[in-house]
Amino acid sequence: MYTQAIDVAPATENAVRSKSATDAEFEARVARDDRIEPQDEMPEAYRKTLIRQISQHAHSEVVGMLPEGGWITRAPSLKRKEILLAKVQDEGGHGLYLYSAAETLGVNRDELIDALHSGKAKYSSIFNYRTETWADIGTIGWLVDGAAIMNQVPLCRCSYGPYARAMIRVCKEESFHQRQGFDIVRALCEGTPAQRAMAQESVNRWWWPTLMMFGPHDSDSQHSGQAMNWGIKRISNDDLRQKFVDVTVPQAQYLGLTLPDSDLKWNAERGHYDFGKINWDEFWRVVNGDGPCNAERMHDRVKAFEDGRWVREAATAHAAKQADRVQAMQRKAA
Amino acid sequence: MSNAADSKDSRGWPLYQVFIRSKAGLDHKHVGSLHASDAQHAVTLARDVYTRRQEGVSIWVVPSNAITASDPTQKSENFDPMANKIYRHPTFYDIPEEIGHM
Amino acid sequence: MSTFLPEQSLLTLADTCLLSGHRLSEWCGHGPALEEDIALTNTALDAIGQARGLLQIVAARRGGGATEDSLAYLRDAADFCNVALASATNVDYAHTVLRSMLLAAWQIPIWDAWLTSADRDVAAVAANAAKEARVQWRQARDWVVRFGDGTDESRRRLLAAIDAQWPLCPEMLATPMAGADAAVNQQQWTDAMAAAFADATVPMPALLPAASETVAAAVGSARLARAELLAEMQSLARQHAGATW
Repeated sequence: MYTQAIDVAPATENAVRSKSATDAEFEARVARDDRIEPQDEMPEAYRKTLIRQISQHAHSEVVGMLPEGGWITRAPSLKRKEILLAKVQDEGGHGLYLYSAAETLGVNRDELIDALHSGKAKYSSIFNYRTETWADIGTIGWLVDGAAIMNQVPLCRCSYGPYARAMIRVCKEESFHQRQGFDIVRALCEGTPAQRAMAQESVNRWWWPTLMMFGPHDSDSQHSGQAMNWGIKRISNDDLRQKFVDVTVPQAQYLGLTLPDSDLKWNAERGHYDFGKINWDEFWRVVNGDGPCNAERMHDRVKAFEDGRWVREAATAHAAKQADRVQAMQRKAA
Repeated sequence: MSNAADSKDSRGWPLYQVFIRSKAGLDHKHVGSLHASDAQHAVTLARDVYTRRQEGVSIWVVPSNAITASDPTQKSENFDPMANKIYRHPTFYDIPEEIGHM
Repeated sequence: MSTFLPEQSLLTLADTCLLSGHRLSEWCGHGPALEEDIALTNTALDAIGQARGLLQIVAARRGGGATEDSLAYLRDAADFCNVALASATNVDYAHTVLRSMLLAAWQIPIWDAWLTSADRDVAAVAANAAKEARVQWRQARDWVVRFGDGTDESRRRLLAAIDAQWPLCPEMLATPMAGADAAVNQQQWTDAMAAAFADATVPMPALLPAASETVAAAVGSARLARAELLAEMQSLARQHAGATW
């Protein structure tokens, strides 16, 4: 989910050369479910892949604050206002835990933010869609966070210790996110005709992009194999996507909402829901920068960072002045 | 701790490791890190970042570059020999039943 | 019944907390640093929580179907009782932290007085609010000092914020609040500001008389800002009259 546009085995490195003894030992460690910690020996490709995946996950959380954050000032009740604020705040916190985890691999947060702002690093493209109505706030919590949870729970067993521990923290907080979203949608479905229509219209727009969050079909996903060997990826894209559909269809039925897929049908033989074809053209367009809000999201993030520069510099300058004063006092006392 | 991560980033806010005591009587536990302009700032921010769900009653912050870590390549030499000194464990000893609990 | 604090005082503080909390919430996702974004949002949540506590009390006592939400979303701007400073626009982070500091310092003695009020419902709200206001005060004051005693740019921005918001303080300090001694509180407030400004190495201006034209003009601008704020805040709720969310 956070590996869009990642090259797990870059051609310049160990894609072609035969594995060294260290790499084989490393994969054996991972196969034993040993946790890898920051100072441990690790293949350079593993380290680089983790930095990319963890930081892209972090970027997704931070960019993800924007579509919902835009509705905080219009939240239609004080309770919803508080809940949405706490939820978006959590997303920021998740971004922070993940940047922290990435930094244990020898990069600075600023480098990672640079990569995001310059377009080198990606973030989950689901956040390039517009939140057009209040119902979207509910839908995002219910569907988008629901999909994220499916992806995140297996990551709690990721081979890299700091990432796994960050994910445990994230998962503890995430189920509130899905519940508050479901609660919003439920209130709409039990509300006025206009509210019910708002909920249905929202689901019509968000269902397919949510399914795309799980990434390309496994058959089209070149590098899943290596990620599995390294214990970074635990379950395949298609399996996660199927699991999500199976869990969510009954929830939609409970709410009285129709999912916008005429091919959606229970398959008793398979024991799963069959569903329709995903429009991968749209997926790649949005991943590659041509979604409804790509430019706007980046503009907002860059602006916040640039506008905040004088604030951060002031804090640094003040801290330096304070440190000088303390030193001067100590010298006088000595 | 890794060298790059313990340096300041370009905005000059160093990295601090955060330890929280979740309630009186327990140890401080490492929960993660954050960037702040100085140590006092770090303590203030740690409260907002790491204790929103009543996770703590006490916070320690330590600049990352103040932490000295054992060398993981020497893990085997340093820690494996502890495994065969089983006489340090109470279960190694057979105490006659007549003595009762010891 | 006679132990109830007057509704006017409750609404003044409730509306002040609601609007200032709303202003703080405007930064969520756009803060100068991730850690700060999270911290400021906590302050916003505290303020909105305080507003909710008081609005629930007012609504229950009014009866007739009044709720915290009908008070927040269906009152017209002119019927709000907040101190004008609460709706002052963010402009930049210096304006935000200064506003936060000025308001917190004004609120602390009021919450403290209400802690021991015979109005037990309000005392219960004050129990948490008094602590939260102190955290808000400390954090905002720390930022004001960083800006005054930081870089040339931060100092310039802080001075501009003081220019914009100082004229709103007399109205706030003159607002009568039940259980609080306005004269005593104003003296304490001024002393606290003097110390903060000294640490920030910026001059503290003299307080204008509440009746001055400059004050009236500033309050007028703040009222306009409040109308815009409420137009946005109330827009969705008003579109669906009677709906539950």
